[in-house]
Amino acid sequence: MFKFHYRLERSAIGLVAFIILVASIGGFIEIAPLFTIDETVEKAEDMRVFTPLEVAGRNIYIREGCYACHSQMIRTLRDEVDRYGPYSLAVESQYDHPQLWGSKRTGPDLARLGNKYSDSWHTAHLYNPRDLVPQSKMPAYRWLLRDQLRTDDLGNQLAALRAVGVPYTDEQIANAARDAYGQANPDSAEAPGVAERYGEATNIRAFDGNQGPLTDMDALVAYLQMLGTLTDAAFTTETAEAE
Amino acid sequence: MLADFTRAERVGALLILGGLVVVGLAMAIGGRGDILGVHGWLVAGLSLAFFFGAIRQFDLPEPSAARLSEYYDAPTRAGIILTLIWGVIGMAAGFWVAALLAWPDLTFDVAWLSFGRLRPIHTSGVIFGFGGNALIATSLHVLQRTTRARLPDALSPWFVLLGYNLFCIVAASGYLIGVTQSKEYAEPEWYADIWLVVVWVTYFAIYMRTLARRKEPHIYVANWYYMAFILVVAILHIVNNLAVPVSLGSAKSFSLFAGVQDAMTQWWYGHNAVAFFLTAGFLGMMYYYLPKRANRPIFSYRMSIISFWGITFMYMWAGSHHLHYTALPHWVQTLGMAFSVVLLVPSWASAGNALLTLNGAWHKVRDDAVLRFMALAAIFYGITTFEGSFMAIRAVNSLSHYTDWTIGHVHAGALGWVAMITFGSLYSIIPGMFKKERLYSQKLVEVHFWLALSGTVIYVFAMWNSGVIQGLMWRTYDESGTLTYSFLDSLEAMHPYYIVRAFGGLLFVLGAATALYNTIMTIRMPAEVEPDRGQDLPAEPALQAGE
Amino acid sequence: MPFDHDTVVGFSKSFGLIYLVVLSVICLAWTYWPSNKKGFDEAAKMPVLEEDDRPWR
Repeated sequence: MFKFHYRLERSAIGLVAFIILVASIGGFIEIAPLFTIDETVEKAEDMRVFTPLEVAGRNIYIREGCYACHSQMIRTLRDEVDRYGPYSLAVESQYDHPQLWGSKRTGPDLARLGNKYSDSWHTAHLYNPRDLVPQSKMPAYRWLLRDQLRTDDLGNQLAALRAVGVPYTDEQIANAARDAYGQANPDSAEAPGVAERYGEATNIRAFDGNQGPLTDMDALVAYLQMLGTLTDAAFTTETAEAE
Repeated sequence: MLADFTRAERVGALLILGGLVVVGLAMAIGGRGDILGVHGWLVAGLSLAFFFGAIRQFDLPEPSAARLSEYYDAPTRAGIILTLIWGVIGMAAGFWVAALLAWPDLTFDVAWLSFGRLRPIHTSGVIFGFGGNALIATSLHVLQRTTRARLPDALSPWFVLLGYNLFCIVAASGYLIGVTQSKEYAEPEWYADIWLVVVWVTYFAIYMRTLARRKEPHIYVANWYYMAFILVVAILHIVNNLAVPVSLGSAKSFSLFAGVQDAMTQWWYGHNAVAFFLTAGFLGMMYYYLPKRANRPIFSYRMSIISFWGITFMYMWAGSHHLHYTALPHWVQTLGMAFSVVLLVPSWASAGNALLTLNGAWHKVRDDAVLRFMALAAIFYGITTFEGSFMAIRAVNSLSHYTDWTIGHVHAGALGWVAMITFGSLYSIIPGMFKKERLYSQKLVEVHFWLALSGTVIYVFAMWNSGVIQGLMWRTYDESGTLTYSFLDSLEAMHPYYIVRAFGGLLFVLGAATALYNTIMTIRMPAEVEPDRGQDLPAEPALQAGE
Repeated sequence: MPFDHDTVVGFSKSFGLIYLVVLSVICLAWTYWPSNKKGFDEAAKMPVLEEDDRPWR
């Protein structure tokens, strides 16, 4: 047996193989079972996918590094549930590639932000947080109102999301750019298609206050107003536990 | 640089650079209309500049065979300077984002000056720019000394060093223009990730090829740590960055994992980046440079082996302590907590081993600021690992998670352990590497030491205070059973601490700048007179008396 | 054997424990095996040996 150790110590390849063996199994044992977890995760029949405008908004949330200061994961602690709402369920982030659970709350948790404030509050707050909240530490994101939203690659984005497992239909992918426009232009001819493809619960509003060409603000506010509203599972689970 | 290359290596260098120019142009053309195009031009431009530089040096005389009886230290020299430059950049960015948290209007309505885009410049600049370059530079130095073998060739170490810095530049510039995957400490997008894999495989190959020609059958333990760092970081990097790009002409990609699986994968990566990048690699540094500087063998070689395997097997399980009380299954959280606590054993074994090595040489620690950097690093390593195990306990984590306490903990490790052991190690090899008798100024090392120590202490205490206050305010109830404080109340309470933290950070950056200045001045000092044995003899045989 | 979540979790919990204990025992035995002591003591001197600062061949 100690011949083996003798060789291991003297052979660089042996050392390498042993390091890989020792190190990789630990992670494997923890992570592998999570891929069979679908069987035990709550089923949420009403879970919908992100609209193209929300995907674009999510990309802006990522681009600006919002996740560095805001979490989207309410823990199962009394004070968090009292402060932010029902604790987060695994199913709620099942289409989040990658997840944005976050690790730090310089600002508050956003998991249940959707429909808590008005669109105009969000637009004004992102434009200059200190106009509404004098103590705020958040940067003023004025460029979101200036920059036009890019929509030409949204079809490709939904297709890539389908490739990693989000159930987008061919129709949703084909109409991605059109639906993005429609969701922020309720009076346009593109608007009815959005509700048809993504459900009646979808917010269809001029998020930045103006119809017409899309801004980054439209997309980000559409995303923020959707947070926590993709499914009612968290609310129904809580009532079931209470009863 | 090219003067050290053989003819075949020069051709190889030109082919690699030419290939990179083509890749850059392809990215620029395929990614026109996308941010990817910007990076295409950046890659093509940088490679082209190096390509022309290489052509100009192409006809230099080939290196003499005598070089093979020397170690090849040129990449280490360049790596030392790159380490210090990235250190100053990354730490200055850290100071600036700290100031932004105190005074957010310093954003000046410029997108790339906002907190969210500058923060990853700080984290990547310090972890990958400063830490990564330090690891590459020192590992090549330690590898040659402990195997008593010269690096296998001149091209591959330069490829690793410059290729790695290209990765860092693409990453940092990407954050400014909005390219990020949002995975913490794995922010660079798919094309940068692929490039890093190529660089990393070459790095590993250098290690194996040098080890194959070693003199001693036994591989010194410092190399085990460096190898664990190289291997495990490769595994972590590849798995966590698996993603599907929107198209080959797009910088954007979507992670293969979602939700809870992604969270676990991300923190398996995140925690082990701490373990194998910021701990194992730097322990390798400590196990070579600390005994060397103190001129005493490590207190217990056997203990260093036990801690090596302990760290290698146990760290991998600890990542889930980042996800206590979340939607992650409970048993995985418990497992993460248990292993995090047990990890204290190998961690303290390492810290204790370092300090016991110094036992009996404390006068050296008192007199020599360089050794003092290393001794302090071992102390901070012990403190931070204790704190880490403590914070991984679920009940403690319920208070500390999401607060500044985590930031304080990370900086106790990053400033106190990683940066201190790096500065100590670099100071100890800079004179030898640049063929000088001594450093330009020992006094500046002393100044740096006290700046670094006071900066770290101020920073960490500010964050401990603010973190605990924050955590307590969030969970305080009044008699009627409602939450006492609004989120804003807690935010307001943080303000003074954020100012103090920025001040602590400033002291630390000033220290790093001192190190950079001291190094440059050392390089510019007149060369040490080579102890040339023939020099003192007269050119002609002297006439004997009486002739 | 059904390959469901509980099986996978069960395997992880049991095999993971065995794997760890076995590895720890191997590692400890090897490190403290008396005949290995000499080699380790020599290895420890590696950084501080006063040899020429150049490759061996």
